[in-house]
Amino acid sequence: MNAYINSTGAFLPGPPISNDDMEDHLGLVDGKPSRLRKRILKANGIETRHYAIDKDHKTLYSAADMGVAAARQCLDSSSLSTQQVKMLSCATTQGDMVIPGFGSMIQAGLEIPEVELHTTHGVCSCSTMAIKAAVNNIRVGDQPNALVVVSELASRLFKNTRYEAAGGSKAVNFDAEFLRWMLSDGAGAILLENKPRGRSVRIDWIRSFSHADAYPVCMGIGRPTDKEDERTWQDFSTYGEAEANGALLIRQDIRLLENIVKLGVDGTLRLIQEGLLDTDKLDHLLCHYSSHHFKSRIYDMLKMAGSEIVEDKWFSNLYTRGNTGSASILIMLDEFLKSGRGKVGETMVLMVPESGRFNVSYIHATLVEE
Amino acid sequence: MADPVAMERPDVLSAVGQETLRRLLRTWFDFERRLARVPLIRRLDLDQFTVEDYRKLLLNLRPQVVEGSRWITRCASSFDRDFADVRSVIIGHAQDEHRDYEILETDYVNCGGKREDILKQPRNPGSEALHGFLMYRASQKNPVDLLGAMWIVEGLGNKMATEWAAKIEQSTRDYKDCTTFLRYHGENDEEHMDKLYGLIDRICVDEAAADSIIRTAEVTGRLYAMQLEEIEND
Repeated sequence: MNAYINSTGAFLPGPPISNDDMEDHLGLVDGKPSRLRKRILKANGIETRHYAIDKDHKTLYSAADMGVAAARQCLDSSSLSTQQVKMLSCATTQGDMVIPGFGSMIQAGLEIPEVELHTTHGVCSCSTMAIKAAVNNIRVGDQPNALVVVSELASRLFKNTRYEAAGGSKAVNFDAEFLRWMLSDGAGAILLENKPRGRSVRIDWIRSFSHADAYPVCMGIGRPTDKEDERTWQDFSTYGEAEANGALLIRQDIRLLENIVKLGVDGTLRLIQEGLLDTDKLDHLLCHYSSHHFKSRIYDMLKMAGSEIVEDKWFSNLYTRGNTGSASILIMLDEFLKSGRGKVGETMVLMVPESGRFNVSYIHATLVEE
Repeated sequence: MADPVAMERPDVLSAVGQETLRRLLRTWFDFERRLARVPLIRRLDLDQFTVEDYRKLLLNLRPQVVEGSRWITRCASSFDRDFADVRSVIIGHAQDEHRDYEILETDYVNCGGKREDILKQPRNPGSEALHGFLMYRASQKNPVDLLGAMWIVEGLGNKMATEWAAKIEQSTRDYKDCTTFLRYHGENDEEHMDKLYGLIDRICVDEAAADSIIRTAEVTGRLYAMQLEEIEND
């Protein structure tokens, strides 16, 4: 049995925020403008994004609120009512509550009775994990449909007060600031069913390859600023102490980040070798890249190897919608499908290379019409 | 005296050449992950690498570098008249690198090591296996598979220059001019890649040649990783 995406939805909170307004929104650390902001923004290429917090840092939409809004939009354009949803598969990097699972909060928000619930946890690729669980549930025939909801509220991590609590501008280095100018908020949802309705997207296969055995953590929260200190946030006596030691800041190890490009290429070549992927026949690539483009050397090699994916097959809305972590790929798919760029019979790959501790996932799908 | 034959970069690789390049890339990425798992190299990734680590690394690389010219020249001499052009390219390559070990020795001394120590350092078990394997393959008639070994060794040279050198320089700030060997392999990178593409085009004529190249690349990668693992198994 196949699984089909019959509807999509997305939610981006508030108006688009420009690069010049970002710092005003998130706040000046120790009252001083960042020296790294422009450099980091130039590298990631993002021009606008959305925040679920206002300038006074009041949360206007919770992560669950955004997920519910995206799900409602998705269901409103489907032929199912909320009550008919049989499986709810949710993902987030960081929900509003530490416990219980994020899916419970979404279910309560949507008021779906007696649903089969699933929550995945991770960084960007947890969205793919949530989709795969939903697709497999439909494939084995356990459920006729599944709603996937993915939401991210990163901006709460980036308030100036967070950095000040961890030592302020003196204690904040490039790795701790990098994601402040990268991540933003939003949610996406898709409805999967065991039959197509009108224009649908058939899921052909989903694969992922994780490399946490080979590489250290590249992006995370929980370790203190002092690299010699092996404690994680809950090992401190109080959360206040953990925060003062920088253990609640989100960090990205920039030098390790390069590996994600190679691992993305490695996975792609593996799928080609296995006969699952034919880059010549592929029509669209929706790739959740954070900012780093293929290094010219690797791109050159792929071209020589006859596996280049030409520029006009790439689709991304990173530059206008921002990098919303795990939600990005669904927000991108929603915009892609609504843009009408895809034609019936065309194929696409949704690729999520996650740098958390290096997991690369791929979804191959075909546009079909009933 | 004539210069070695220059391998030109082909415009397009043949179908089997492209397939081989895809397989070589995957073999390379696998090798990189093997390297990343070696505790000494992981310390580089975690910013915990020390000058003592660096001295250990150089000490253990030297036997392989000094023996490197042996398998490359042996490889060249094993190519018969049908591969005279390939032989010439390899002789040129051997000529370029046959005194690299001297640079490495000077780096070792410049980061606080004693020259007599590095001169008497024997091969570690991994270097022994790597050297033995490469000499054995190089002794076969027309050892086209050694293109796979060059892919790994050349690739690592580039990785050392572009990734390792800067990190190592962080941990050797108190010493001057001690990463010349690592840095030097980043030079003429374009030219090296063109040469490799040219060799792939020339040598990868059928599946059997491609399979043997990949096999030798895989074995070289595993034995190279073993050589690095053995640094701390004394």
